[in-house]
Amino acid sequence: MLKRAVASCLVLFLAVTAVPTAGDAQAPIKIGVIQPLSGPVAASGSYVRMGAEIARDWINARGGVNGRKIELVIEDNKSDPKEAASAAEKLIVRDKVPAIMGAWGSSMTLAAMPKLEEYGVPMVVETSSAASVTRRGNPWVFRISPPSEMEALGLAQYVDKLGVKKADFLAVNTDWGRGAIQAFGDMLKKRGVQVGAAEYMEQAATDMNAQITKIKGTGGDTLFLATAVEQITLVLKQGQEQRLQRKVITTGGSSSPTQLIKQAGAAAEGSYHIVFFMPWFPEAMPDGKLAKAFVDEWNKRGHPFEGLTEGFRGHDGIATIVEAVKLAGKDEPKAIRDALWKVSFTGVNGPIKFEKDGPAGKESGQSKPSIFVVQVRDGKVALPDFLKK
Amino acid sequence: MIGRALVVASALALVTAPAWLASPYHLHVLIMAGVFAILALSLNLLLGYTGQLSLGHAAFFGIGAYTSALLALKLEWSFWLALPSAAVAAGLAGWAIGRLALKLRGAYFVLVTISFAGVISLVSINWMELTNGPLGLPGVPPPELGPWSLRTKTAYYYLVLAAAALAYLVCHRLVYSRIGRALVALRENEPLAESVGIDGTRYLVLAAVVSAALAGVAGSLYAHYTRFVSPEVFLFTYTVTMVIMVIAGGKGTLVGPVVGALLFTALPEALREAMAWQWQMLAYGVVLVVLVFFLPRGIVPAITARAARAAAGSRAMRPGAAPR
Amino acid sequence: MEQLLQHLVNGLVLGGTYALLGIGLTLIFGLMSVVNFAHGEFYTLGAYAAFAVLALAGWPFFAALAAAIAAGAVLGALCERTLLRPLRGESIDTVMLVMIGLWIAMQNTELLVWGGVARSIPHPFPTEPLTLGPLNIAPLRLFVVGAAAALIAAAWLLIQRTRLGTAMRATFQDRDTAALMGVPIGRIHTITFAFGSALAAAAGALLGPVFLAYPSMGDLASLKAFSVVILGGLGNLAGATLGGLLLGVAEELGAGYVSSGYRDAVGFVAIILVLLFRPAGLFARAERIG
Repeated sequence: MLKRAVASCLVLFLAVTAVPTAGDAQAPIKIGVIQPLSGPVAASGSYVRMGAEIARDWINARGGVNGRKIELVIEDNKSDPKEAASAAEKLIVRDKVPAIMGAWGSSMTLAAMPKLEEYGVPMVVETSSAASVTRRGNPWVFRISPPSEMEALGLAQYVDKLGVKKADFLAVNTDWGRGAIQAFGDMLKKRGVQVGAAEYMEQAATDMNAQITKIKGTGGDTLFLATAVEQITLVLKQGQEQRLQRKVITTGGSSSPTQLIKQAGAAAEGSYHIVFFMPWFPEAMPDGKLAKAFVDEWNKRGHPFEGLTEGFRGHDGIATIVEAVKLAGKDEPKAIRDALWKVSFTGVNGPIKFEKDGPAGKESGQSKPSIFVVQVRDGKVALPDFLKK
Repeated sequence: MIGRALVVASALALVTAPAWLASPYHLHVLIMAGVFAILALSLNLLLGYTGQLSLGHAAFFGIGAYTSALLALKLEWSFWLALPSAAVAAGLAGWAIGRLALKLRGAYFVLVTISFAGVISLVSINWMELTNGPLGLPGVPPPELGPWSLRTKTAYYYLVLAAAALAYLVCHRLVYSRIGRALVALRENEPLAESVGIDGTRYLVLAAVVSAALAGVAGSLYAHYTRFVSPEVFLFTYTVTMVIMVIAGGKGTLVGPVVGALLFTALPEALREAMAWQWQMLAYGVVLVVLVFFLPRGIVPAITARAARAAAGSRAMRPGAAPR
Repeated sequence: MEQLLQHLVNGLVLGGTYALLGIGLTLIFGLMSVVNFAHGEFYTLGAYAAFAVLALAGWPFFAALAAAIAAGAVLGALCERTLLRPLRGESIDTVMLVMIGLWIAMQNTELLVWGGVARSIPHPFPTEPLTLGPLNIAPLRLFVVGAAAALIAAAWLLIQRTRLGTAMRATFQDRDTAALMGVPIGRIHTITFAFGSALAAAAGALLGPVFLAYPSMGDLASLKAFSVVILGGLGNLAGATLGGLLLGVAEELGAGYVSSGYRDAVGFVAIILVLLFRPAGLFARAERIG
C-alpha cells in the first residue's frame, strides 16, 4: 500500500516536470550550447550559460539578427565526453541548430568534434585550452579561448618583473592542467627560470597536503597553480596551514579571484592571477563600455559576481556566432562557417578575429584573445605594480 | 507462443531499424544501446550467474577501448585485428582479477574490483607516454571492410548489431552448458557445489575472463564509433549504468540485460527531449526508483512471471488438469 | 625526516575523516546489508545543512552541527520508511538499485537547490596553524579529529552499552528470534538507518568547513567509506576506525613519496594487498555478523 502510494507520488512528479521545451511560433535562429551543467565543474558551465543568456537577450532586444530572434538550445554534457558527443548529435539532428558553442572541457570538445565534421556544422569553442582542439584538422572548429601556449606567451613578458627564479607547479590532472604545466614550463625554461616540482591533484581531490609538503621542500620561490577556483581555495588554505611561503600565480582564467578572496581570505593575499576578463575594472578592457555594460547586466540579474571571470566566455561565444550569421545572411551551417573566417569585432574580452591553425587545407580557426594579470592586495583585486603606468 | 512471436518481431524491427527510424540521431542512440547491451550481458555473466558483483567493470570496457584505439592509431592495425586484441587484453585483465580474488567473495570481491578499476583509471590518466593521459586519443579510425569504410551510421549499426547478437550467443552457449550449470550451482550454494567437486575458483575465473573479454569488445566498438578515447571511459558512472541495466532488466536472465540496455540508453535521451536540463537527471533517478518499486525482480522476470501465471491460469481452467 | 612526520600527521587527520565516514556506513552496510550508494549524499546533506545554518541563519557552529545531525537522522528515517521497508524482502541487488536512484535524485536536487558553485562554510576557529617544531596543524582540523573521535566513541557506546544497541545487534543477528523476544523490528531498522545517516551528515558538517560544500562532494566520500567499511570488517566500528586511519596514512605517504598523480592508486593497491592476505578484512576475528 505504502509502496503504491510512494510510487504514485513519484510518477506524478515525473508527469509534472516533463514540460516540453519551448517551441516558438516564429522561426527563431537556434544556437546550440553544450556545457557541463552537472558534475564537478557545474559552476563554470552555469556561468558560461548565464553569459550566453545575456548575449541572447541583448541581441533580441536589438531586434535579433537578420530580422529574426535567436534562441539558445542548452544541453548538459555532464562532464562526460560521451554525453558531449550525444548532445552535439541531438542538437544537430533533432534541433537542427546551424551552429553550436561548447563544450567547455577539452575532452568534451574533442569528443564532439567528429560530429561537427560528420554533419557539417561549425562550433565556437569558448573555454577549452588543449592545443589539439585546433590542430586536429577539423575545419568546423573556431576557438576564441587561448590555448595554454598562448597563455604562457602572454605571461612571458612579466616573468622578470615578477621575479620568478625557481618555479614549482601544482595542476589538476586533466588535459588542461597537464597542458598548462607543459606550456608554462617550456616558456619558463626558455627564459632561464629553473623548474622544480610538478605535482598533480585529481579533479575531485580536496586534500593536497601531501603535494604541498613536497613543494615546501624544493626551495622554489613561485608556485604556479593550474586548476579551478575550488581547488585553488583549498590549496591556498592548506598552504597557509603548512606555512608555505611562495609567490602564487594561477593560470587558466578559472581562478575567480573574487571568490578566492571570499573563501580563502588571508591565504589569497598577494597571489597573482592570469585572467581573460577584469570585471573589477571593466573600463580597462579593450571595449570598456561593453565590458562595463556586461558587468552591470550580470549584477542586475543577481548572478554571483565571482562568475564574471568565466561568464563573459558565454557572451563572446554567442556574439561571435551571431556576427557570423549576420555576415552570412542566412542560418545555414556552411554559410556560417565561411562567414566565421570573415568575423572581426570586439567582444567583452577584446578583438575577435580568426587565424588559421592546424594542418594545411583543413585549418581550424583560432583567435588571439587578450590576456591580463591581476593581483590580490589588501583583500581586493588590483593591477600588479609593474602594470601600473 | 507469444514469447516466440515477440522475439521474432523484435529481431525484425532491429534488423530493419535504419529504414524505419525517424532520424540518424535515433540510430546513434540504438548504436550506443547495442554497445551497452554487450556490456550488460558481460556484467550479467558475473552478477547474474555467479552472483558476484563486479563494480569495476568499466575497467575492462576501458582497457578494450584503449587497446583497440592504440593499436589502430600507433601501430596502424586494422580494426578486425584490433577488436580481438582488445578482447584478449580485457580478458587478461579479467583473468588477473579472477586470480587476485581467489578466495574473495561478496563485498570483498566487490572492493577488489573497485580498487582494480581505480588503479587502471589512474594509470590511464598518468601514463602520458602510452595513453596521452587526460588529453585522450582523438582520431581513432573507423573500421574498413575491403574497399568500404564503415564510417556511416547504418554500416556501423549493423556491425554493432552483429557483435551484440554474437555476444548474446556466447552467453547463451555458456549459460546452458555444463559450465553454466556449475556457475549457477556455485551461486546458489557454494559449499554444497564444492562438495560435489565443482571448483569454485576455476569457474569464477572463467566467468571473469569471458565477461571481461566481452566488455573489451564493447570498448573497442565504442572507441571506433566515437573515435575519441579518454580516461573518462573509466568513470564510475559507466559501471553504475551497467549495473542498473542488468538489475533493472533482470539479472540472471539473458534477455534482461539487453532490455535494460535499450531502456536505459534511451531514457536519458528521451529525458533530454522531454525536459529542461535541470530536471533530466533528477527524473532519471526518480524513474529508477519507481521502476524498482513496481518491478523489483527486473523487467524480464516480471514479464515471464506474468506469462507463466497466465499460462498456469489457462491450464487450470481445463477440466482434468492436475493442480500445481 | 620532518617531511615524513608532517606526512604522517596529515595522514592521520585525513584518516580520521575517513573513519568518520566509515562508521555510519558500517552500520548500514554491515548490519542492514543495504548497499547504500546514497551514503555520500547524506554527507553532502550535512555539509549543506551546516552551510544553511551558519551562513544563512547565522547560528553558532555547534548548533549547525546539531542541525546537520538532525537533518541526516530525519531524512534517513524517512528514506527507510518509504523506500527500504516496502522492499524488505527483496534481494540485496534490488535494494542497491533503489539506493542508486536515491543517490542520483539527491545529488541532482542539491544541484538544483544550491547551484553548482562551491560554498565556503564559515567556522569559529583561527586560521593560523598550530606549530609544533617542524609540524603544522590547523586548529580546525584538530577539532575535527577530536569531534570524530567523540562521535565514534558515542556510537560504540550506543551499540555496546545501551538496550537500543543490544536490540539492534539482536535484530541483525537473528531477526526472527529477536522478533519473538519482542524487539520492534521495523523501528529498529528505521533507527539504525537514521543513525548511520546522521553520522554521515555529522561528517559532512565537520568536513564542510575544512574543504568546501558542493553537490558532488559525496561521490568520493561514498567510495572511501565503502573501502574503509569492507577493509575493517562489516559491522565493525573499531575496524572502520582503524581502517580509515590506515587508508589516510597510506594515501598521504603514497602522494608524498611515490607520486601525487598516483595518490589514490596507492590506496587502492594497499586495499588489494590487504585483501590478498586477509580475505575477510583486516579484523576478521572481530567481525560481528557473518
